[in-house]
Amino acid sequence: MICPIQIRKPEMLLAYAAGDLDPESARLLEAHLAGCSACREIAKDQATVWKALDGWEAPPVSPDFNRRLYGRIDQGLQLSWWERLTRPFRPMPLRQALPLTATAGLLLMAGLLLQHTRPLAPAAPSGEIVRADQVERTLDDLDLLHQFNGTAATAPRSFGPDRSCFWYS
Amino acid sequence: MAAVATARPQQAQDRPAAQQPAENPIDRWNRMSPEERERELAKLPPARAKEIRQRIRRYNQMHPEEQQALRQRYQTFSQLPAEQQQIVRQRWREFRQLSPPRRIAVRREIDQIRRLPGAERQARLNSEEFRSRFSAPEQQMIRDLSIYLPK
Repeated sequence: MICPIQIRKPEMLLAYAAGDLDPESARLLEAHLAGCSACREIAKDQATVWKALDGWEAPPVSPDFNRRLYGRIDQGLQLSWWERLTRPFRPMPLRQALPLTATAGLLLMAGLLLQHTRPLAPAAPSGEIVRADQVERTLDDLDLLHQFNGTAATAPRSFGPDRSCFWYS
Repeated sequence: MAAVATARPQQAQDRPAAQQPAENPIDRWNRMSPEERERELAKLPPARAKEIRQRIRRYNQMHPEEQQALRQRYQTFSQLPAEQQQIVRQRWREFRQLSPPRRIAVRREIDQIRRLPGAERQARLNSEEFRSRFSAPEQQMIRDLSIYLPK
């Protein structure tokens, strides 16, 4: 699987953390996460955010909710200009602040990932795969060409498998 | 995960693009991600995979200019007809089977012959001295390697 960060599709990680990915894609992504620390870290952070959101439960609406609501609105209309001005800056109860903070964090992270233009992974999948046996054959050819470089007075240091190539050293 | 030689060969930055030799499979290998490289190496026996890692590391540690020259020679070599490439590889295998003193003698002869102009080279290869100093397989080795190997 190609790294979602590398192909600039971090939404796949977000969907995985949200549990929205289909089982096959989730299985492939999990296999990728095992080898990609950058993606693993993002998926872990996302999962933490979702866990915090999942853990929040809205309190049940009380039977006299409407009455109290309209009472508060009426009270608000009677506030002084100074109270109206400072009201948004008053401390918020924790049970209200937590889900809002988590949601803001989630949106911030999604925004950063979607805007990120450079790969976070240490090395990128190239898209082109060279087989190991092809590499080995090329190394053999390079060693041959290196040994007979036509300019060295003595044989250069071999990078071939056979240490006996160091025949002049 | 075992470490793989990841150092990338330095390019000769001041060389015009037209003179840059084409990338060889090792250069393309170096561009693969560590996961991709390990996945490919995992298909081989561990000892062989380890040997390839070491050989790539030695290639990547070459001096950039030396590496660039080798890249150029590889490009020339890979443009030879496939049969000639096979002949050179076969002679190389035979060469490596020689005893160290014979390798020295054969290699010196190849180096000397490759520096000669065409006519002198042919004269040398037909000379009595050449025939007396080298066995028939060695003569064939010298002929083929001095003719087909890129300069």
